[in-house]
Amino acid sequence: MNKLYILLGLVAILIVGGKSSLFVLTEGRQAIITEFGKPVGDPIKEAGLHFKTPFVQEVLYVDKRILIWDGMPNQIPTKDKKYISVDTTARWKIVDVLKFIQTVRNEIGAKGRLDDILDSVTRDVISNHNLVETVRNSDQIIDKLKKSKSKSEEMFGEVEPITIGRENLSKMIIKAAKGELEALGIELIDLQIRRISYERTVEQKVYDRMISERQRIAQKIRSTGEGEKQKIQGRLKRDLQRITSEAYKTTKIIRGKAEAKAAAIYAKTYSKAPKFYDFVKSLEAYKKSLKGKAKFIISTDNEFLKYFKRL
Amino acid sequence: MSFQGNNNNGFNSQEIEEFKKVIKENFSKFIPFVIILIIIMGGKSLYYTVGPDEQAVVVRFGKYIGTFEPGLHFKLPFGIDQNVNVKVTRVLKEEFGFRTRDVSTRRTTYSDGGFEEESIMLTGDLNVAEVEWVVQYKISDPFKFLFKTSSPIQNIRDVSESIMRRVVGDRSVTEVLTTGRVAIASEAKILTQEVLNSYNMGVNVISVKLQDINPPEKVKASFNEVNEAKQEQEQMINQAEASYNKVIPKARGEADRKISEAQGYSEALINRAMGDVASFDALQKEYKRAPLITKKRIYLETMEILFQRFENVVVVDSKVKGLMPIFSRGLKGE
Repeated sequence: MNKLYILLGLVAILIVGGKSSLFVLTEGRQAIITEFGKPVGDPIKEAGLHFKTPFVQEVLYVDKRILIWDGMPNQIPTKDKKYISVDTTARWKIVDVLKFIQTVRNEIGAKGRLDDILDSVTRDVISNHNLVETVRNSDQIIDKLKKSKSKSEEMFGEVEPITIGRENLSKMIIKAAKGELEALGIELIDLQIRRISYERTVEQKVYDRMISERQRIAQKIRSTGEGEKQKIQGRLKRDLQRITSEAYKTTKIIRGKAEAKAAAIYAKTYSKAPKFYDFVKSLEAYKKSLKGKAKFIISTDNEFLKYFKRL
Repeated sequence: MSFQGNNNNGFNSQEIEEFKKVIKENFSKFIPFVIILIIIMGGKSLYYTVGPDEQAVVVRFGKYIGTFEPGLHFKLPFGIDQNVNVKVTRVLKEEFGFRTRDVSTRRTTYSDGGFEEESIMLTGDLNVAEVEWVVQYKISDPFKFLFKTSSPIQNIRDVSESIMRRVVGDRSVTEVLTTGRVAIASEAKILTQEVLNSYNMGVNVISVKLQDINPPEKVKASFNEVNEAKQEQEQMINQAEASYNKVIPKARGEADRKISEAQGYSEALINRAMGDVASFDALQKEYKRAPLITKKRIYLETMEILFQRFENVVVVDSKVKGLMPIFSRGLKGE
């Protein structure tokens, strides 16, 4: 029984010793071993079970994953003196554990340094460029505007070409901050300009401008409509005149030709016997013109009555 | 297990032999105790289940050993193996500019007040628009989703906000509010996926869906005015077209009528001429054969018709003189 107690005591010691000589590194973390506070060996990046000398060595863990830095929105005047609020976020990771621990100790320390560096670089870059450079990434809006200018009734606000663009400003910020962050054992993966908005004080002015711009557009649309209407009305009058006058012309030509042809037909035949024509036509004319109610006094000299006188 | 093996290194061989002997002697007594002990202590940590919409990421001593499909699985107890179940088939979403408040009621309610910070953005012509959207995504690699970034959902939110502003920033406010919706959504989806891929975080963006896009509240009225003006313009043009369509076809018809009438007239005229000429020709042939008789006949026939018509024919002998003046006077007196 005595031996069993000794055995159990030994097991207990071994478990405690084991615990302090073994450590678990989970996925997404990395560690460095320190001996009385002094870093020894390479940082451990592979997850799993690892050894250290018990009681003497300590393990310091830091994150291996991509971490987020969320900046406070900054009031920054742009180069063209527009006051905007810029909100950026960045992703970073610890690439040099030793440097990181030596310079900023932990993530809280890192955040403070990131704040200092990224805020000031962002401010420098934004305030050295016009507002459009931070808003737009390309000049496609200008191309579209050119293409649609003929048919579009909508006019745009100030559309000036850009030379750098939003993405490239981000890259400029990253490039400027990279060196300083490397010294802290930090790799800056990206920086996103998450939000840009007008500052509250200038917001109302922007809205006023938008309103007046819309009103101008509305007015333009209305008068374009009025113009279209006038055009159509003009077309109406022109077409009407053309149609009626062409019809008049055509009928006159048709009638004239027919009359000429008829005259020719008459002339051709009648000219063969002019005297007989004269006779026949005169008699026909009498028939047509002399009507019943007329008083008629006829001399017996008349050819018709020649037999009245004598047989 | 290397764990056990390592610990045994501390024993000296004699003690081990004695320990083994004790265990051998009491082996049958120990077995039930050991089993009960394992069951009590291990218990639930011996197995795990993976739901039908999940995959399980398993780590052993913190190290990733695999991703497992739905079903019942065993694992090493006492926290040696740890599993994290991740919903991989479910479509997850993040909302921007609004939040779904309640989906349990018959009609889903939303709240979109208080999220202007997310939704207000600048357009390419330096106007302001309020854009609300939803990003739908799936976890394509649960291990990466868990261990590659510290806050995957916040990454999705940050990137999506940034990309949406970039896409909207390249368009005019008019395009954003009207024709650009489809292009904005698909461009945002592609760009968001691109950036998330660069983080290698195991997320697959399924879609970016635009919800309400509005001008800011304060300028809404003026945007409506533009729409009204468009309506008015349409209306004006339609009315003018209508009156054109009313007048012109009628005028064309009338013109056609007049031309047809003229054609009819001319045909009639010519036919009549030809008729007249034909009858004259026939008469003239007759006349040529017997000129005097024909002439006489025509004369007499005409006179016959004429004298029948007259109600009042006075025949005066050519030798009677002085009658004419009386008649002349009487005629004047009428």
